[in-house]
Amino acid sequence: MDPIILGIAVVNGVILGGLYGAIAIGLSLIFGVMRVINFAHGSFLMIGLFIPYWLWQLFGINPYVSVLAAAPALFALGYAIQAVLIAPLYRRERAMVVEPVSALMLTAGAGLIMDNVTFMAFGPDFRGITLDFASKALWIGDVLNINYTRLAAFLVSLALTALLSLFLVRTDLGRAIRSTAQNRDAAALCGINVMRIYNVTFGLGCAVLGVVGCLMIPFYPVSPSIGLAFGVRSFITVVLGGIGSIPGCILGGLVLGIVESVAAQFVTATSASIFSFMIFILVLFFRPTGLLGMKV
Amino acid sequence: MATQPNDRNRVLTATAAAIFLVAIPLGVTDEYYLHVFVATLYFAYMASAWNIVCGYTGQLSLGHSALSGIGGYVSTLLLINAGLSPWIGMIVGAIGAAAVGVLVGWPCFRLRGPYFALTTIAFAEILRIWTENTEEIFGIELRGAQGLSVPLKGHAPLLFQFDGKLPYYFIILAMLTAVMAITWWMERSRTGFYLKAIRADQDAAEALGVNSTRYLLSAMAISSFLTALGGSFYAQYFRYINPERNMGLDFSIELALMGIVGGQGTVLGPVLGAFLLTPAGELTRATLGGKFPGLHIVIYGLVLILGMLFLPKGLIQPLRRLLGRKATASRSEETAA
Repeated sequence: MDPIILGIAVVNGVILGGLYGAIAIGLSLIFGVMRVINFAHGSFLMIGLFIPYWLWQLFGINPYVSVLAAAPALFALGYAIQAVLIAPLYRRERAMVVEPVSALMLTAGAGLIMDNVTFMAFGPDFRGITLDFASKALWIGDVLNINYTRLAAFLVSLALTALLSLFLVRTDLGRAIRSTAQNRDAAALCGINVMRIYNVTFGLGCAVLGVVGCLMIPFYPVSPSIGLAFGVRSFITVVLGGIGSIPGCILGGLVLGIVESVAAQFVTATSASIFSFMIFILVLFFRPTGLLGMKV
Repeated sequence: MATQPNDRNRVLTATAAAIFLVAIPLGVTDEYYLHVFVATLYFAYMASAWNIVCGYTGQLSLGHSALSGIGGYVSTLLLINAGLSPWIGMIVGAIGAAAVGVLVGWPCFRLRGPYFALTTIAFAEILRIWTENTEEIFGIELRGAQGLSVPLKGHAPLLFQFDGKLPYYFIILAMLTAVMAITWWMERSRTGFYLKAIRADQDAAEALGVNSTRYLLSAMAISSFLTALGGSFYAQYFRYINPERNMGLDFSIELALMGIVGGQGTVLGPVLGAFLLTPAGELTRATLGGKFPGLHIVIYGLVLILGMLFLPKGLIQPLRRLLGRKATASRSEETAA
């Protein structure tokens, strides 16, 4: 195989992978803290893409400015779904151990509703927006070019991950979240309002998708049905990187992005997903804690 | 002693239900309504097969649609390309699906946590996407997203093809009876007790010497086998399969929904769920589907959320309590007299 083409595929894979990693952060954070698999994860991303799309269509607001609206909106949506739907499960279980299946099915129900209400409102069409500089690209040499919107998405994804990690380590709220993840009873004894931390964590996990949605919409058209594909990709990313590990997400995303991008040079892009699944199974067999995970 | 009247009630109810179900085609001659009954029994069968692994072990599979897809595709491809009767093809597909089920379950069951649920979703989605985009493999036509049509052979019982819906009704009724019998037997067998122990606390069960991986895998193999048989039935009944309908996640969620709303981990629960939700779904689709496509899925989502929040053990729980109270009441009357 031509090394130049391979090089281009790897670079594209890295760019894509950074984005996959950022998409998966919320899933990993929510699972790490609450042990809940948010099945509606992809649907939240879908909404995170629709918000900047409509702000652009109706008011001409630049999607990078729309972050200011999309991130808080997604935070509120996630906060509300946790507070209204999932919190009763915790109240029912005295030991505060939620049967993971119940929470997964609850979020699956929420995802079905989000997908299909959007479908009824906007129809099945793919909708995208065109920015002036979306067609421009950064040229490295004569052959390699990286589209500016994708490059921006990649860099902001990395920055976002670093920011979130810093937030979890340095701030009081971050410390409260991490202590709740380690031992919720001990955290409660130290005066942490565990239920509020859960709401905030769920909101934060979704807010990330609001930011990512604004970064993606310039080059990724949205339709109500895209949620599932991204949800599945996020599950794979999170298991690859190690459930609950935030740097692991980026690593898992990069592996997934490079595998998909390089495999697409040999087979069709859709068949390439078979390879990511094979890697997923191999990791489950030989390193079930993921690449950067602690023990399960 | 104390369970005697209860058992008598149960046998009576079961006999009454069996007579009712066998007699339905005598009263229902309209093809559409008969179809609704076939669909209901089919979903009851599929949800019961799902229940064997998910209801009894607590390991949630959202990839059962892929197993049903394997069944449907294997029997149909064997019929098209080798002229093999689907009666044999469905067994081949079911054995294949059981092997796949074990292969997917094996790495996951050794681990604690949500690995099984995530892996089944990823597996089913990737199989669906791959099938949708594969026109041909090793010279065998898969026809991608278009799906496969089962070639029409007229009235050919040996090829699993009949005139009218009536034979299909009795076939799926027999299949449902079989899967319920298997579940009933399993619940009372050593395996059933082991599975319940694993569900309650896997570590404790293992400490008592239960080889949890082995029992989880056998449950998965049985469940996969039965699910694939259902997939072949679907292909022969509708004479058309495609990846979206037969391998899609919506179908898996539907099965899980029926099992959970009815009451997972019981013989009757999934059947109850299917008998409630399938006709309701068919009705919404038939009346509102044209005006609001997607509305019936929104309703499924709402039912799922409400069920999880207010009836976590399924509809079977209040129903059983009601019947149990009646049985107790009649017993105390007997003693009083």
